[in-house]
Amino acid sequence: MRRKVWLDVAAGALLAGALAAALAVPPERNMGDLARIMFVHVPAAWLAYLAFAVTLVGSVAYLATSRMKWDRLAAGSAEVGVYFNGLTVALGMIWGKSTWGVWWTWDARLVLTAIMFFVYLGYLGLRRGIADPVARARRSAWLGVLGAVQIPIVHFSVVWWRGLHQPPSVIRPGGVQMDTEFRLALAIAVLAFTALYAALLRRHMENALAEEALAARLASEEVEVAGAAITAPRYGEVD
Amino acid sequence: MTGLWRQAWEVARKDLRTELRTGEVLMITVPFGAAALMLIPLAIGVDAPLLERVGPGMYWSVVLLFGVLVTVRQSAADGPAQMDLLTLLGLDPAARFAGRAGASTLLLLVFEAVLAPIALALYGNDPRGWWWVLAVLPLVALGLGLLGTLAGAIAASVASTTLVPLIVVPLSVPMLLAAAQVTEGIRVGATIFGWLLLLVVMDLLLAVAGVLSARPLQEATR
Amino acid sequence: MPEAVIDLRAVGVRLGDTPILRNLHLRVAAGEAIGLIGANGSGKTTLLRLLATLLAPTDGEGAVLGVSLRSPERFAVRPRIGLIGHTPGLYPQLTLEENLAFIARIAGISAAAVHEVLDGVGLGLARHRRAAACSHGMQRRGEFARVMLTRPDLLLLDEAHAGLDPQAAELVAHLVNGARRRGGAAVVVSHEPGRISPLVDRFVELQAGAIAEPGTGRP
Repeated sequence: MRRKVWLDVAAGALLAGALAAALAVPPERNMGDLARIMFVHVPAAWLAYLAFAVTLVGSVAYLATSRMKWDRLAAGSAEVGVYFNGLTVALGMIWGKSTWGVWWTWDARLVLTAIMFFVYLGYLGLRRGIADPVARARRSAWLGVLGAVQIPIVHFSVVWWRGLHQPPSVIRPGGVQMDTEFRLALAIAVLAFTALYAALLRRHMENALAEEALAARLASEEVEVAGAAITAPRYGEVD
Repeated sequence: MTGLWRQAWEVARKDLRTELRTGEVLMITVPFGAAALMLIPLAIGVDAPLLERVGPGMYWSVVLLFGVLVTVRQSAADGPAQMDLLTLLGLDPAARFAGRAGASTLLLLVFEAVLAPIALALYGNDPRGWWWVLAVLPLVALGLGLLGTLAGAIAASVASTTLVPLIVVPLSVPMLLAAAQVTEGIRVGATIFGWLLLLVVMDLLLAVAGVLSARPLQEATR
Repeated sequence: MPEAVIDLRAVGVRLGDTPILRNLHLRVAAGEAIGLIGANGSGKTTLLRLLATLLAPTDGEGAVLGVSLRSPERFAVRPRIGLIGHTPGLYPQLTLEENLAFIARIAGISAAAVHEVLDGVGLGLARHRRAAACSHGMQRRGEFARVMLTRPDLLLLDEAHAGLDPQAAELVAHLVNGARRRGGAAVVVSHEPGRISPLVDRFVELQAGAIAEPGTGRP
């Protein structure tokens, strides 16, 4: 099967451009070179949420149409999303340690991103445990919808909760002075990572489709039914 | 509609009767939760002001983490033969969901009620004036019962005693926050109405989700 | 009652990627009872579950009691089907009486008949015993009582005589004839064709998921 590579090439080119832009930007006033983490952390965070939203779209569409391509979309997006989610949390922790001296802060967004990570893991754990593709698609679609409906409530409750407490003096979202150059580099980074997400998602979906095609070929007339594996006992050999 | 509620009531009654006979919640899960409440001061230090401060939070955490086990209790699990039987009897899946969630909610209320005085004693909190907490207990029990039953329906037979807690715990964060904030709010005299409303909204959403997904999940066999 | 209680045309069932049944043609008329035989793993239980509308066909078209196996109407026809599977479906912590009363109330049947059917299957004196404390044979009788309570039009019996003493074995005949009299049908799975041959009109043999002509071993 010839694989179209234009998306991969575009993603690669954009990533190279983003890297160049990130390195070209002068060190930030307050944080110096450390601020360059933003060029990965912010896009990764954006993508974690985008991937989650796409999983929701795929889940709803599957429940409405029962077409497997929506299940492939939802699952592929969740798999890619969990990596970006993990990356966001890890980079956020590194940022926090370097900037404020602590590995973890109870900042609303960090908490929410960490919670989402667990929800993704539950979604992937559920899929791993179900062999039948239709049952897997339907159950994980419902979990995708349940998770997505609850996440805004989780978000709201965490933000509200944080707002009630005395915010520690050093914690402000970002904490970075953003001049035009910085903003531009950040925009390129977000675009590049979005292209990367799209490329990875497409590869995931292509692989899933190929696996399904293989399974369908194996399930055709030429293959033996399950019952053919059971033969008459041969006593002479046992004793 | 009356038929649905009647069926739900029969399912709940059956679940509760089974629990009375096996005692899984009362004899095993409740002591387990009490043991957890006991372990925490051993780990964080028995400083009285510290324990008084963290007491309510620890209580709600244990309710949520161990309460999930109430919803996945073995005695309420329907094996494949029972599922086939219920399906063929024409039991409405929504009634099955409602019945199971109802029984779990009641058992969770018992769970909360037994653990509360234990927590108060161990952590030295004075509950006088905490009347609003009485409103929170059933709301949390209902939310956890609904969420646990729904997660159980989604996971079906897939390692449900381990997967269901993983699914439930992150999504139960608003319940945890609301319950803890109401208790905290009462203590310092802050507003709690918003958090109570959040609990009600969450319970409503979970009930709707459970009823809507009941038949599709039942038909997604294996 | 439709003329054909069971009507399967080129039906196949796959679980995941694995085919279990393929290209099944089966027609069972009202008032008919068939014996289903075949080696272990030939797909008998899967076929029974398909006929009970618990599984949907992945290929072909099938109808049971006049309702397509793929349509939402199959939900409504389920109470007219009685399935007794390998494993008893009784709740272990409830007594036999409580189990049947629960079933009666869910099905919307008067619970007054519970005593009668328990006596009918010879479990009247054991009605207060918990299902978990009953032997396999007793639990099977309990399932027969359940079927007598619900009086299904399509009766599906898996391993009908397993674990039954001769008295209880008579109950199988009673149930099968009951379904026939009501103008329904019965499908009886057994590894002992000799035992069920008085009960059924003909045999259907499953070989590796397809129907073989009985006795010939050819699909």
